[in-house]
Formats: sequence, structure tokens, C-alpha cells
Amino acid sequence: MSLRTQSVEETRDLGEALAALLWPGDVVVLAGDLGTGKTALAQGIGRGLGIAEAIVSPSFVIVREYAGRISLVHVDVYRLDFVQELHDLGFEEVLDEERVTLIEWGDRVTGLLPEERLEVTLRAAEGPATRDIEWVALGPAWLERSDALAKALSPWALPGDGGRSC
Amino acid sequence: MDTATPQVGVALGSEHGLVAQIRLAQGRRHAEQLAPAIEYLLREAQAQPSDLAAIAVGVGPGLFTGLRVGVTTAKVMAQALEIPVVPVPSLDLVAYPVRFTARVIAAVCDARRGEVFYSVYRTVPGGVQRAGEYRVGAPGEVAAELVATGEDLLLVGDGISAHRQMFEDELDRAEFASTSFAYPSPSALVELACSRYRREDFVRASEVQPLYLRKSDAEIAWGPDRAGHEGAP
Repeated sequence: MSLRTQSVEETRDLGEALAALLWPGDVVVLAGDLGTGKTALAQGIGRGLGIAEAIVSPSFVIVREYAGRISLVHVDVYRLDFVQELHDLGFEEVLDEERVTLIEWGDRVTGLLPEERLEVTLRAAEGPATRDIEWVALGPAWLERSDALAKALSPWALPGDGGRSC
Repeated sequence: MDTATPQVGVALGSEHGLVAQIRLAQGRRHAEQLAPAIEYLLREAQAQPSDLAAIAVGVGPGLFTGLRVGVTTAKVMAQALEIPVVPVPSLDLVAYPVRFTARVIAAVCDARRGEVFYSVYRTVPGGVQRAGEYRVGAPGEVAAELVATGEDLLLVGDGISAHRQMFEDELDRAEFASTSFAYPSPSALVELACSRYRREDFVRASEVQPLYLRKSDAEIAWGPDRAGHEGAP
């Protein structure tokens, strides 16, 4: 389903709306080039999960953890070269059932991810702060929620896009 | 000490055997609990760190988060006290306490992500002998492999509890050890490590390596969107 935001703040709002549908144990992949707003989306999701602490890019430390209504693990694989580096970080345990996990550039390491996940892709569109955002729900628990998700994100739906039937 | 599972296990032994042990199984609290547990154990046993002759540590295979706390603590203590380390695989510490059986023992620990760490043991006088490698795999595959051995089995470990129904269905003749035996036994660590220490079968702190079974040679598929670290912010 195609969505569009016109500013960083709008991308955050979209993240906050998305967060309302997240359950502990969910894995969300954030894909998109540098500067397309993956971290802004993560900040909105953090706000929606009731995280008081400021969410900053995890690029440098790879993994950041936050406590909230639902706790959050924010991962960025951008600085890694080898899958082994993720094993060495205990990646299998980073993904746990009690927290939501966001993985920036997670589309590059799908072999390590659970089949059940939400993939959100951001793309720069015309206009300096305009972003086209698409999401794909994978696995039964996400398919179950895709109608609710489409509804929650409808304020940003592109005109004429009827949404994706799953 | 052993922290390869959700349990924090600490024990103190002397030449006469086990002196004291602590087992805390709350999960995810290794970093908070290990050092205080060691301190408490030594204090109540009226021992000083300088009384220690060696540090024994469970080196997995196990959960990374816990394992690195135990292995690091063991290395640092051994280095500071200038004493050797006796590394002992954590699955051995699961198998050893249930050795009073004629069955073949399968020690199976939860590896998360739908996988288990496992190894198979035969009982021998005074202990157990490993009959295969330490491995990681999907529980269904492990069960099929165990069925194929045709052996009478005793299954033990928190990997069994995590997938109990499946193991029961696949292995209808197997016995299952109770959950009291699910985690690596600190007293087993004392027993196994003491006999190794007597044989001078120990290593320097710097030589201790945890057993990580998850290995990959794969490179992450970066395209022109990330031209190496130089381009990274």
C-alpha cells in the first residue's frame, strides 16, 4: 500500500499511528536510502510505544534498547559487512518476544529475520521532504492486522490508492 | 560459573567437593546477578578471592547475552588473581547430573529463534562421554536425528521444555528429565572442573573461547547505496 508524507514530522506521526498496532515480539524492517526518514519513522514508533527517552540513530552502536509501554530494540545494520557480525552481537537474542524490534536496512539481512515481519520502505519523492512509503505484511499475524493497519495509516494514503487486499 | 542459559549458576568447590552453590533462573539478569552472587557465595563460605586456585566456567553453547557475561567475568577474575581457567561446555553440565541411567542422554538447550543447541552422551563409569559434536538445529530435525539413532533416550534441558509436545510426539519411547535438571548444574561444574584441574587440564584466561555454533561466511549484500565504511555517516 502506498503512502505519502510531506515532512519529517509527518513521517513521525505515521510511525506513531503504526505503533498502535504493534505487539511485543513484532519485527519491523525499515528500508530506504540514507536520509529518507528511517530514523524519523522509528522516533514516531517510539513515541507511540510510550518511550520517553529520545530515540537517536543506532548506526554507531548498532543496537539501542528503550523501555516503554512496549519496550523497543532499534537496530541498524548499515555499518556491518558480514552476517557473522550480527551473530557476534547475539542478534538471535535481540529479537525477543517481549519487545518490538525495528531493523534499519533489515531488507539486506532477511535470511536472519523471522518470516513473520512488517517491511516498510521509504523513498524520496518530488519535493525536498516528500516521501513515498510502502509496507508489506509478511506472515499470518501481520496479515490478520493488515486491514487495521491500512485503516490506521489511511491519513497518508495516496489519493486513488485503494489499499492492498491481503 | 555458568551463564549460558537464562540461569545464573555459581558454585564454590574445594578438594572435598562442592562447598556451596547458587542458582538463579529469572533470565536476562546475568549482568546484574553474577558478580553479587559470586561475592555472596565467597562471603558466606568465608573465603577470599585470593583463596581460589582456578576459575571454572561454562562456555556454552548457549545464549549469547548471558554467555558473554560469564565468560568475561571468569576471564577477568582469573587474570586479576593470576590463576588458570577450566572451561567446560555447558551442555556437559546438563547431561552430567542425569548420568544415573542406562539410556543415552540428549542434552538440549533452547537457542531461541526456533532452534536448540544439543549434544548426545553415553554414560560411562563416573560420568558421561559425549557421543557427537555440539550442534545447533531446528527441534524437529533434532528429534528426527534422535529417532534415527534407535537408542533408548533420556532427554534433558530447557530446549526440551520449550518444545515439549513436539519431542513427546516424535520420541514416544524417550524419557524426559524433570525441569529441575533443565539448566547447567553449577555443582556438576565443580565436579568436572576439579578433576580436570587435578590433571592440570586448564588454560590461561586469554585462551578461553565461548562455543558459538552460529557461524556464517556470508557478506551482507550492499549495493552502490553503501560503498564501504568510507561512505557511512
